[in-house]
Amino acid sequence: MSDALRARGATVELGGRRILDDVSFEVARGEFACLCGPNGGGKTTFLKAALGLVPLSAGEIEVLGARPGTSASAVGYLPQSKGFNPAFPAQVVDVIVANRRGAWPVWVGAADREAARAALARVGGEPLLNARIRGLSGGELQRVYLARALVNEPALLLLDEPTAGVDARGRAEFLDLLAGVAARDDLAAVLVTHNATAVRRLAKRVVYLDGRVRAWGAPGEVLDRDWDRAAFSGHDHEWPPAPPCEDE
Amino acid sequence: MGEMMDALLSPLTQGFVRRALGAGLALGAAGALLGVFIVQRGLGLLSDGLAHATFGGLALGLLLGAAVDRAIWVALPFTVAIALGIQYVRRRTTLGGDVATGVFFAVSFAAGILFLGLRSARSAPVNVEGLLFGSLLAVSPEALGVILVVAALVFALLVWVGPRLAYATFDPELAALSGVPVATLEYLLLALTALVVVVGVKTVGVVLVSAFVVIPAATASLLGRTLGGIAALAVALSLAGTAFGLFASYHLNVATGATIILTLGAMFFLALVLRRR
Repeated sequence: MSDALRARGATVELGGRRILDDVSFEVARGEFACLCGPNGGGKTTFLKAALGLVPLSAGEIEVLGARPGTSASAVGYLPQSKGFNPAFPAQVVDVIVANRRGAWPVWVGAADREAARAALARVGGEPLLNARIRGLSGGELQRVYLARALVNEPALLLLDEPTAGVDARGRAEFLDLLAGVAARDDLAAVLVTHNATAVRRLAKRVVYLDGRVRAWGAPGEVLDRDWDRAAFSGHDHEWPPAPPCEDE
Repeated sequence: MGEMMDALLSPLTQGFVRRALGAGLALGAAGALLGVFIVQRGLGLLSDGLAHATFGGLALGLLLGAAVDRAIWVALPFTVAIALGIQYVRRRTTLGGDVATGVFFAVSFAAGILFLGLRSARSAPVNVEGLLFGSLLAVSPEALGVILVVAALVFALLVWVGPRLAYATFDPELAALSGVPVATLEYLLLALTALVVVVGVKTVGVVLVSAFVVIPAATASLLGRTLGGIAALAVALSLAGTAFGLFASYHLNVATGATIILTLGAMFFLALVLRRR
């Protein structure tokens, strides 16, 4: 069986700037990986390339054995910035059902409503079903978007800093949720995070990305590594600007 | 009661009133449904800009020797091209949509004034006031046919692509991930807006057509909670406001387009007061 995600020499250039340079790693089916690295290190760009939203200028990324963007319903995505139109009359149920249908639900039938309710129940957000999106708090919005990502029973979750902008309690609750979701054997996930607690708790594998893959391995190996020059053989002139993940 | 109704509806015995009502209702339904997307995307200025571009298109038609009623065949492709041009600039540059609209709108209107001036002295005089303010009661059978076809086309296309267009309106990135052809649908929305605006200019004029599209959707957006509810309410308000405005203007002997817009405007302000806080 193919890997959940497999990058080989993935390179992205945007506006003449090389954002990702020769990135190679893979995430096995059912594996929970964390993507760490400094801001501007290409983490979000990597996820977008894996989703088919950003074109590769060289190399390849395989998602569930296919080209990016071709197995959309098998990939659940939780974006970092919620770029939705705040003027739009959107209820939580609509947002979740839209991902199920691939179109905005002008009318929500019983089966769709039940699927949305069940997805929300998995993330403890059932009471939000009929709430308006624009009135939700940051933490509630994350739950809704996680439910949205889960509604199609994906084989791979791509989560882009889901706890950014959420308070400490909300962050801890959300990590509990992710731990519950990650416990499913057949679900792989790539979590972009700066949060060392999240990495230690969830990740089987950590990839430290700073334009290139600087380190990858088990959380203990990467997080607790003595970040000296020897850790970057071949890149010893490129000192990491920050530790890979920060305790909060 | 029956006699009163008969008296109120008596204008319907006249063919030009029936044509005006048919044109107004068809355009009202298609325009209101379109307006829902225009309002949700904050493109109210765009429909206004396209109305001014229509003036340029009609003037070009007249310059090319078309009769006033036939100039619409030049204005239709002209305005659709302007709409696609605005969308191209929106997508390909960092200029905002209002800037692109402002440039295209001013250039087309200026060209329209130039085109009218360039017509030979022998050509028939043009009623510019009719262009600017419309003449719903002067809709010819041929014009009615064009309006009905355009309205049916726009309505049917919007019902077909509406759910995907709505998804792209909520969040273009998530919609694209679900396989929605976001860019194509945005070009289509602008082209449909151009079509409605051009035939709308014939009825309520350059100055008011944008309000005709935008106000019912804006009113419905104040009152509705879901997209389906807002769309249904916008169409219903538009139909009611158009019919009421038409009959009222006939009995009061005042300008029809203006009366319809004022009726729609009254509904908007009523909704503003009545909406749930």
